[in-house]
Amino acid sequence: MDHVGLIQELHRRELPDGGWSFSGSSQMSLETTCLASFSVLAEQPSSAPHVVWPLLHAQLSDGSWPSFVGDGEPSWTTALAICVLNSANDSSGARERGQSWLLKTKGREGGWFWRWKFKLADRAVRFDPDRYGWPWLSGSGSWVIPTAFSVIAIKQFTACSRTEVSERRIRLGVEMLLDRTCVDGGWNSGNSVVYGVPLRPHVEATAIALLALQDERRTETIQRSLAWLKQQATVINSVSSLAWCILSLFVYQESVEALKNRLAKIMGDGREVRNNATLATALLALKCGEMIHPFVVLR
Amino acid sequence: MKLDRRRFLGSSVGVAATVGMTAEWAWPKHSVSYRRPRSAVAVLNADEYSEKIEALLLDGLRLFRLNVLGKTVLLKPNLVEDLPGPVNTSATLVGAAARSFLRLGAARVVIGEGPGHQRDTELVVQAAGLKPHLSERQIEFVDLNRDELRKVKLKANYSGLGELWLPRSVLDADFVVSMPKVKTHHWAGVTLSLKNMFGIVPGMKYGWPKNLLHWSGIHESILDICATVPIHFVIADGITAMEGNGPLQGSARQLGKIVLADDPVAADATCSRLMGFNPLRVRHLSEGCHFLGNLREDRIRMLAEGVGAPTRPFSVLPEFRYLFAAKS
Repeated sequence: MDHVGLIQELHRRELPDGGWSFSGSSQMSLETTCLASFSVLAEQPSSAPHVVWPLLHAQLSDGSWPSFVGDGEPSWTTALAICVLNSANDSSGARERGQSWLLKTKGREGGWFWRWKFKLADRAVRFDPDRYGWPWLSGSGSWVIPTAFSVIAIKQFTACSRTEVSERRIRLGVEMLLDRTCVDGGWNSGNSVVYGVPLRPHVEATAIALLALQDERRTETIQRSLAWLKQQATVINSVSSLAWCILSLFVYQESVEALKNRLAKIMGDGREVRNNATLATALLALKCGEMIHPFVVLR
Repeated sequence: MKLDRRRFLGSSVGVAATVGMTAEWAWPKHSVSYRRPRSAVAVLNADEYSEKIEALLLDGLRLFRLNVLGKTVLLKPNLVEDLPGPVNTSATLVGAAARSFLRLGAARVVIGEGPGHQRDTELVVQAAGLKPHLSERQIEFVDLNRDELRKVKLKANYSGLGELWLPRSVLDADFVVSMPKVKTHHWAGVTLSLKNMFGIVPGMKYGWPKNLLHWSGIHESILDICATVPIHFVIADGITAMEGNGPLQGSARQLGKIVLADDPVAADATCSRLMGFNPLRVRHLSEGCHFLGNLREDRIRMLAEGVGAPTRPFSVLPEFRYLFAAKS
C-alpha cells in the first residue's frame, strides 16, 4: 500500500474529537497524537489548524502537556508537542508556555540532595549526576528519550533566538546524553553500566539520541553509535525500531532507500500495525526525503 | 524523679515503639487481606521446553480445580528485553498456559505485558517467540504500556503513591495469572510472581524504566500493586532460571521446575526455597505474608512434588548474600 492508503488508515483511526489513542481506546495519547500530527502535516501542510487544535486543547495550565488526556500531570510529551507546533508554525503562544515549562523541568538528580546521594552513596549505576536532563514525568530521574526530545524541541524553537538559559539547558542535555552512552556506542533507556556490567543499547533510544545530536561535533562516540545503528538497521524487523532507524540515519545523510523498501514490505496495508504511534512513525519514515523532517535541527 | 540520659533514651525508644505499634493498629498499611488458612502449590518437573509441557501443565492445573469457566483470563508473563538467555518467560510455557486455560473453559485469554526497559514491545514479543502462539482466535496480546488507563486508589500504602493509573485490560480481567521467570534481581533480590506485576504499570504514564516505582521503593511498590490487583494464580517458569546478576545479565541455571500456586506469596516462598534462599529475607515476602498470602511451609499444601534442597544455592551479587540466612 502507498502513502495515501496508509494515511487514510491513520485518519480512519482518528478519534471523533481529534487526536489519536495508542490503539482502539478513546483515550487520546499525546505521543501518538504528536507522531500522527507530523504524518498528517507532511501529507497535507494546509491541515495545520485542524491538526494542532487537539494539542492546544490538551495543554495544561502550567504550559506542559500530559501523557494522555484525562491525566493532569505534566509529562515528557511536552517536548514532542512543541516539535509539532514548530512544524505547524503555530503562533498561539502555546510553544512559548511549553518551552518555559521545559526549561524549568529537570531530572530529580538535578536537585542537590539526590545529586550528592548518587555521588557518595548510590554507586550501583554509573553516571555523572551533574549532567542531568529531563524525566518522563516530574519526580523521577533523567532518561535518554525525554532528554533527546527536549533537546530537539529547544534547539528547533530557539534556532533564531537562543537565550543563555536555553543554551545552558541544551548543553547540559547534550552532555547528559554523551555521559549515558553505552560502552560500545548507542543508548538504552539511560543506564550504561549497572554493578560494573555494561548494558546493551536499544535501537529506538539510539536513533532518537542521535537525532538530538545531529548538529553536534561528530565525536568518536557519535560515530560509533551511528555505526551501531546502521548495523542494526540491516537486521531489525520490528516496524517501530526500523522506522526510527530510517528517521535518524536520514539526517546523517545515510542512504535509507533500501530500508524504506523493507519497511514498506513489513507494513503491508498497515492494518496489522495496531499501535497508532507505530503506524504514524512508519509513515514518517516512508516519507523521508519527501518532506521537511519533523526532527531536523537547523545548524 | 531525676531523668538521666539513659532513662531518657530508654523512655524515648519505648514511646516510639508504642507509637509505631499504635499507628500500625490505627492506620494499617493495607486495607485488604487475601490470606487464607492454607494455600496450594504444585512443583512440576520439566527438563526442557517442549510440546510435552502443555499436557504436563494441564494436568497440573487440574489439581487446583480452578473455576475459569466463561472468564477472561489475563496471563502476565515476564517479557523484559529482546536478549538471548533466560531473560523472558518461555513463550512455549505461555502458549501452553493460554491453550490450557481455554481448555479449562475460559472464554478468552489475554496475554498482557508492559516491558520495563525496551519501549518497542513488538521487538520483545518477536524475540521471545510469542507470535506463533497468538494465532488462535481467543488469544490476544495487549501491550500494557499503551493500554487505556484508569486511575485506581491503591489498597495498601507502603510506597506513599496513593494511587496509580493502571491498564483497563488488567482491571477488567476476571482471573489474573502471574507467569514470572525465576530469576535473581539486582535491586529486589529475586523477581518472581509479585515483582512480575511491575509490568502492569504503564510506561506511557510512568516511563521506561518505571522509575517512579524505584524512587518510591521497590518492595513498597510491589506490595501496593499486588494489594490493588490481586494475583489469582501463579505459573512460574523455573525450567531454565537465572542466577547471579539478574534480571538481565545473570547466568542460566537449569532448575527443571514449573511452580504452580493459588497464592503468590506461597509461590514466591516456594521458588525462593528452590533457589536456596530464606523467603523471610525477601522484604516484600516477609511483609506480604501478613496480607497477600502464606509464606510458612506449614500453611502450604503441596499438591505435587515438594521442595527438595537445591544441590547448590543460586549465586547472587555480594549485596544479596543475606538471602541465604537461616531457614524459615
